[in-house]
Amino acid sequence: MMKRQTSYRGFLTCVALLGGAWVCFAANGPAPAPASPVLAAMQAELDRSMAALSTADPAAYFISYTVSDRQYAEVSGSNGALLSSAQSRARWLEVQSRVGTYQLDDTHKLGDRPPSWTSPGTTVALDDDIPILRREIWRETDRQYRAASQALIKVKTSEQVQVQTAEGAAPDFSREEPHTSVGSRVEVQVDRKPWEERVRKYTAAFSQSPSVLNSIATFTALAMNQYQVNTEGTKLAFGQVHYRLELYVQTKAPDGMDIDRYTNFDWLDPKDAPDDKTVSDAIQKLIQEAQALDQAPIVEPYAGPALLTGRAAAVFFHEVFGHRAEGFRQKDISEGQTFTSKVGERILPEFISIKDDPTEAAFGGQMLLGYYPFDDEGVPAVNVPLVDHGVLKTFLMSRSPLVNVPHSNGHGRRQLGYVPVARQGNLIVSSSQTMTNDQLRQKLIDLLKQQNLSYGLLIDDIEGGFTFTGRAQPQAFQVTPLVVYKVFADGRPDQIVRGVNIVGTPLVSLTKIVATGDKQEIFNGYCGAESGSVPVSAVAPAILISEMEFAKKETSTDRPPILPPPAHDPEAKGQQP
Amino acid sequence: MRILATLALLAAFTMPVAAAQAPVPAGDNDQTLRAMHDEMERARTRLSLAGVDKPFYIEYRLLDLDLRSVTASFGALDSSSVSRTRFMSVDVRVGDYHLDSSNFISEDGFQGFLGSTGEVGIDRDYNSLRQDLWLATDQAYKAAVTQMSLKQAFLRSLTKPPEIDDFSQAQPLVKVDPRIEPDWTSRNWDDEARTASAVLKNFPQLYGTRVNYYLVYATSYRMTSEGTTIRESRHLAGVEAALDTEADDGMELHNFYAAYAPLPAGLPDAATVANALTKAGGDLMALRASPLVPDYTGPVLFEAPAAASTLAQVLEPSLSGARPPLSMTQDFDAFIERFGGRSEWTGRVGTRVFPASVSVVDDPTLQEFQGQPLLGGYGVDDEGVKSGRVSIVENGILKDLLMSRRPGPDFSYSNGHARSALLSDPHPLSSNLFFQSTDALKPADLRKRFLDACRADGHEWCLEVKRMDDPALSSVRQEDFSDFVGELGGEIASGARMPLFVSRVYVEDGREEPVRGGVLEGLTLRSLRNILAIGDDSVVYTYMQNPAEGLAGTALGAFGSVQGGIPSTVIAPSLVLDDVEIRGFHGEPRRLPLVQAPPLK
Repeated sequence: MMKRQTSYRGFLTCVALLGGAWVCFAANGPAPAPASPVLAAMQAELDRSMAALSTADPAAYFISYTVSDRQYAEVSGSNGALLSSAQSRARWLEVQSRVGTYQLDDTHKLGDRPPSWTSPGTTVALDDDIPILRREIWRETDRQYRAASQALIKVKTSEQVQVQTAEGAAPDFSREEPHTSVGSRVEVQVDRKPWEERVRKYTAAFSQSPSVLNSIATFTALAMNQYQVNTEGTKLAFGQVHYRLELYVQTKAPDGMDIDRYTNFDWLDPKDAPDDKTVSDAIQKLIQEAQALDQAPIVEPYAGPALLTGRAAAVFFHEVFGHRAEGFRQKDISEGQTFTSKVGERILPEFISIKDDPTEAAFGGQMLLGYYPFDDEGVPAVNVPLVDHGVLKTFLMSRSPLVNVPHSNGHGRRQLGYVPVARQGNLIVSSSQTMTNDQLRQKLIDLLKQQNLSYGLLIDDIEGGFTFTGRAQPQAFQVTPLVVYKVFADGRPDQIVRGVNIVGTPLVSLTKIVATGDKQEIFNGYCGAESGSVPVSAVAPAILISEMEFAKKETSTDRPPILPPPAHDPEAKGQQP
Repeated sequence: MRILATLALLAAFTMPVAAAQAPVPAGDNDQTLRAMHDEMERARTRLSLAGVDKPFYIEYRLLDLDLRSVTASFGALDSSSVSRTRFMSVDVRVGDYHLDSSNFISEDGFQGFLGSTGEVGIDRDYNSLRQDLWLATDQAYKAAVTQMSLKQAFLRSLTKPPEIDDFSQAQPLVKVDPRIEPDWTSRNWDDEARTASAVLKNFPQLYGTRVNYYLVYATSYRMTSEGTTIRESRHLAGVEAALDTEADDGMELHNFYAAYAPLPAGLPDAATVANALTKAGGDLMALRASPLVPDYTGPVLFEAPAAASTLAQVLEPSLSGARPPLSMTQDFDAFIERFGGRSEWTGRVGTRVFPASVSVVDDPTLQEFQGQPLLGGYGVDDEGVKSGRVSIVENGILKDLLMSRRPGPDFSYSNGHARSALLSDPHPLSSNLFFQSTDALKPADLRKRFLDACRADGHEWCLEVKRMDDPALSSVRQEDFSDFVGELGGEIASGARMPLFVSRVYVEDGREEPVRGGVLEGLTLRSLRNILAIGDDSVVYTYMQNPAEGLAGTALGAFGSVQGGIPSTVIAPSLVLDDVEIRGFHGEPRRLPLVQAPPLK
């Protein structure tokens, strides 16, 4: 309880709540950047290390260095008081020292055993002191080379005794073209004082409502400058900035069910920060939704037509389709590999196409959080058409190739401290057969009447859920709708309900999309999976699904607090200040 | 709420300032105690669930931390930060002093511990704190009710339930100190860290270094339904440095330096730290060049700093008189056992534990020893009990034990030794621990006694331990300490001790020769009965006890850092122990780096 922001967890959960991160800005800045001491130190050590280690036993065939210079400010308030206000700067070094060959190296996955794990990084000096940076890089290179050498011995031993699977025959690492792009450093300038006042004021507004147990407002500003060199000749320096305001409120229904409402604002330029009026309106909306949900009836398990608004549909596609289009899952024998053999086949209705395009910084004037110029393996971001008129075309790729997809398409991504794998960036769903909102609603009602149902469900907001992609679990997915309405066939006003999860199997539900809206909506958030939490966007039109299955959500058994809130206690008025 | 993981990493504190038994002074708009009081009253009078006990004890703790931390390596800054945070912890108990909902580990672990702990607003305001306390109290009460029913069910399954009370009565205390505002500006900490660490560039054979300045001001609040009201200001400053390298045969070697002061202004200046680091670097280089220690059994001379550190590891687990919590699972017992947390002294009060000349005293009320500050002191312990001197061993006979408000088989009441860092569970821990003898020898006589013993045993040379290692401080990377606990933690329970600097002393002419790579084996309380001689050269050894659950109060608890450790001292002289076993290095040497280290300048 209390200040916990990251209460939603589960593997492959898209969480819009996690702390700040970055997006956008200046990859190839027009102004020539001054020589970076960080890059100079990295290049000097790279050359020296490769000269020695490429002829060692075992030989290193690829070395890369990444330094992430992270400048971060966070101001957070809760229940009308300041919770924290701080800023920090840190540099994080990651070293990859691969031994063996592109075909078979130390990272080769052995059966279903987890790979031997060495934490892939360390903090390094903030001062631009080349000899010290070189010393730190040298030390980490030695550590990683030793770990890789050990790992390769295990790989080679087990290679002799294990059966090869078809996808296991794909190389461990792809060869990529080198890229050079040295942009200017980016920074955020933050005056925290006004934000301290704002987060106090915003959360005090939440506290006006007696049903609010806890509220949090968090402002974050991030400037991330990334430097990367590798022995294939890539040399990159680029930066991205991102500002974010998050609002979170928690209440409890009388039966003990926890109710959370959340919203966020993202911007790139300080002048685009939301004004007080905008934030205040958002706060009132969250309070109203939370209060309505507190009192809402619990919906019974249901199977029937459902209408998802654009934002909800975006999350739905991200969870149900997007994660299964991530290349590394096709390779891993412990994965379900839903789509592995389906390239060239129809998996969606013909009117739907999907691409993942991290090269777009905005969509319809709104920023996209999944934008980046280069991925975390130094490969330029690529617009990848995943589904063309219902037909699966390819997968999202990092530098871990598949037999039929030998190269990265710039989707190797990670949170600092994790090893990159193929991840989504901006997943954009479009439709060639759209209708207006009114037409969609009418179509829903028509379906209800056809199926003799008295109501259908309208999903307005989805929290993200967890997707089982592993082979050991059923190929099912579960996403948690946060705001759900019953839409009645007889034309009564919609009724807000609570306590349901969407369940089902992905292939089936994707083929049951019968209509789409004419306006695409954006979901910006953070997605947590194997390589940590990365910023993503999903864009989709509203979708009407002819049949969707809903189950009861697990609920907290905690009763609501015994005593009334102290600020709203009728028996204790005298104590108030 | 960033919960306990964060709590355990942060802060520490020392030395309460002079007590001022007054309400919050005029002009001080800190609303913390008022918010605590009002919510406590509401909970005390109105919190109840139908059909179950009302709370009999409610406790609010709150910690307000201002931290300044700077880390540098070889003259370059790695990080520099300032932060301010507040954490609360609420304890609600049902039952009574004899049998309550505490002291019990169910299969679900510590119930209600997380739910009632959390980060709260930093404005020292009234409304937001009441809201947080309200919810935390509610959670803690519900958890206590659940815990109590599990505990009662467990007790019914035992043939003989424990007769010892769960909780002892203590005199309520009211003590409201003035708040102290932190001051970071008196010195330029970034520059000092750079300057001090830069001297290590003179040792190109060093692999890595870390110099960390850590300054903390803490205001701690405590309120109980028994009537205790406390606001105390505590502060602590430390500089800790780690340096490491490899010998030519691949053996990993390290060294550390630490200095502590109650206030930032008391820390040594950059030039002093630089000199100390130059010495630390030089010592490590000498160690690097020294030969390996062979396996050895015989007399060992522990110089005073090494003796003090060894005593901290060996004595601490047996000083506590509190009984361990009742546990439904074997895991907890196994955990305590593994890290050497089992007391060998409970139940042995009145028996001889040391030679008749030896006394052991723990005294949190002292501020200094022979002009040197004692950082382990405090006025009120972490359960709100006034601190007091405890004479543990007199003339070799065990007389008393350190007590919190958790009674044990030998003693029922607290003597003010409950200690914790942050808001962790308080344990009975030492503060300023004196190990003394009425039969102490001058250093020259002690050395003669040592060499005589060697000669009598027929040794050509014997070993002398000059300093003990503290892996929490000497690890350049924080993960290395976790690795140490994982790999060697278990051996600690059976008495493995890590020396840092060891020399061979030749019987013939007394000359010394540094050696490297040994581990002391089987060095337990029992070994201390074989004390051959005790010096009169007591030193103050200042260290930070590790408050981590499972480590606090064990032999590993002697390894902590200023980031979250509990300031403590051992005042001890040089010792000669007989029949000590040292195991030399038997592992496979590591391959040296294939790439030469780049130049540091």
